[in-house]
Amino acid sequence: MNLEKVLIAFCAALAIGIPAIATAWAQSKIGAAGAGTLAEKPELTGTIIILVAIPETMVILGFVVSTMILFTVK
Amino acid sequence: MIVRMSKVEIVGPKDLLQESIVLLRNSGIFQIEPAAVGFIEKEDQEHIRSFSLDEKTAVERLYLEDLRLKIEELFSFLPAVPVRESYIDPASIAHTIAGTVERHTGQTRELSEKRDELQKERSELERYSIFLGGLSILMDSTKEAPDLDFIGLTIKEPEMVPRLREVLSRITDWKFEFQTEPAEDGTLVGLITVERTIADRVKKTLSDEHVPELTFPASFGTLSFPQKISYVKERTARVSAEADRIREDLLRFARRWTPLYKSVRDWIDDRLALLKTAASAYETRMCFFIHGWMPSRDMVRLRNIMEEAFKTRVVVAEKEMREEDLERVPIVLKNPAYFRPFELMTSLLPLPAYTSYDPTPFIGIFFPIFFGIILGDAGYGLVLVLLTLYLRKRFRKNKAVHDGATILFIASLYAIFFGALFGEFFGDIPERYFHLQPILMERRTAIVPMLLFSLAIGVAHIVFGLILGAVNAFQRNVKREGMFKVLSIVIICCIITILASLSGTIPLVFTRPVVLIILFLTPLLFFAGGVLAPLEFLKSVGNIISYVRIMAIGLTSVLLAYTANELGGLTGDVVTGVIIAGLIHVLNLILGVFSPTIHALRLHYVEFFSKFIEHGGRKFEPLQK
Repeated sequence: MNLEKVLIAFCAALAIGIPAIATAWAQSKIGAAGAGTLAEKPELTGTIIILVAIPETMVILGFVVSTMILFTVK
Repeated sequence: MIVRMSKVEIVGPKDLLQESIVLLRNSGIFQIEPAAVGFIEKEDQEHIRSFSLDEKTAVERLYLEDLRLKIEELFSFLPAVPVRESYIDPASIAHTIAGTVERHTGQTRELSEKRDELQKERSELERYSIFLGGLSILMDSTKEAPDLDFIGLTIKEPEMVPRLREVLSRITDWKFEFQTEPAEDGTLVGLITVERTIADRVKKTLSDEHVPELTFPASFGTLSFPQKISYVKERTARVSAEADRIREDLLRFARRWTPLYKSVRDWIDDRLALLKTAASAYETRMCFFIHGWMPSRDMVRLRNIMEEAFKTRVVVAEKEMREEDLERVPIVLKNPAYFRPFELMTSLLPLPAYTSYDPTPFIGIFFPIFFGIILGDAGYGLVLVLLTLYLRKRFRKNKAVHDGATILFIASLYAIFFGALFGEFFGDIPERYFHLQPILMERRTAIVPMLLFSLAIGVAHIVFGLILGAVNAFQRNVKREGMFKVLSIVIICCIITILASLSGTIPLVFTRPVVLIILFLTPLLFFAGGVLAPLEFLKSVGNIISYVRIMAIGLTSVLLAYTANELGGLTGDVVTGVIIAGLIHVLNLILGVFSPTIHALRLHYVEFFSKFIEHGGRKFEPLQK
């Protein structure tokens, strides 16, 4: 019983942890390129914010899956 | 809101063109359109051509451009000093100035060159002074004799000293003296004393070893080292005094003449801008045409201005706006006072197209609500209200800070409201110490209800965006796009119905007909949206799920506040507990300002606006003085 709980918690952690790493990696690349772009073209601020924000969806989806694992798997 | 614009044509006799442009410029409500497309009909093109300056005006333009260059050259020799405004009419003195500018440029150039030479000499002398300063210490301990020669050195690497000693001992058969002393600039100054007969040989060897011997300019003549030291001091003082005198002369000149030259240069700029604008006009044999854009509400005002100045000789006509014009109409955003601060957030985005919507009111309505739900703490909200009130008062003249504080003020009021609903005041203090239950739900424990609440907000927001997008598409007569958005709305509603029936919220009997509806609508979705339609639709579903962040970020905030109170309570001491809890609350409050702002904005920029706002508008840039 306890091992099951541990496994559920571990799976939930993986479900959010891996997308979080992926998001961080993607945002680091986009952020660095975006910062370079803004130095030359400040008028692209809005576009860069949108580009940096796009990978966040991954971690949110991971969060949803993680919540589902925690609350629906019995 | 996007201000309604008018396509305007101004026509009058050619001799009134410049006066008309001056009036347009003074009014500040008209943007000239240099391109003729959409303004001049094809059949009229052979009679209408770009306005070209007459010979007299063209000569005047060249003359003014030349004079401006001369004034700029004069300014390049003058120091920048704060000067008074000149009250003399620049137009009346332009010719006089043209006569004096070359003479003044010559004088100031001469002074500047002299000053530069003196400054160069002074920096050279300072370099020698550093060296001689070091040497003077060595000279004090060395006796001067007619058969001895002194060689000065600068040694950049101290490791060279033993090597030099070895070389010198070999050449001079130990008949030398070599002393070193650190100079002010960090290098090492060396003085070699040898017999005059072998001095040349030593100098040659030093050159081979790449140790530079310090040579003095010809002006030093055959002075001995002590004489050189006093000569450098005297010369430096003389040069500095002379450079200061010239600087004073130039300053005096600048204070006296800059206001006059500056006013003439500004007048020339103004005049040249006028002539440049005239080049954007069109002409026939007798008339001029100016085409452009202006806010429709100012049409009457412009007509009155023109009528007052020229009676009926110059006509202002509003032309029919065609479909192809819509892409070129410049954009003016004007919002009611409540929404105006939110233009700060809109300014981060490209301008919307003329046929689209101004994003400002949508941000003004939804941003504070999202911020309030995410922060959702009455205590934090109260602190932020007080802070923003102070910032609004302190930075009344700084528009960006004032607007930012106003936005945060409104958002904080919503945070207080939702904080009351969630029963949060600096975390769980109401429940912990006063046993008060939340009105709506406790976010810390009601994770699934909050998740569903966030998704519900997402559905409502995205469907609202799709409705606006559909309306806009039908208005623009892009029926397939409109149809795709309508189908997306219907299918989203169907999916929600299926999920609700599967979860038992509504009877299961609804599932089958709804699935059939989706199957029926799918081919239509392909027809309306093309091959990528399913992908686009899935993007909308992903956008809805993205609203879960409202709950996720809020949860981190409430848990951090809970941890602060828990840790504070564990200390067992009121003062220590308050300090520890206070520090964590401060951290949470700082995060609570940035995180909700960024995520609420992202939900607008990425998820919501992509459904109905088309960007690509160009800024309205009226003629202005």
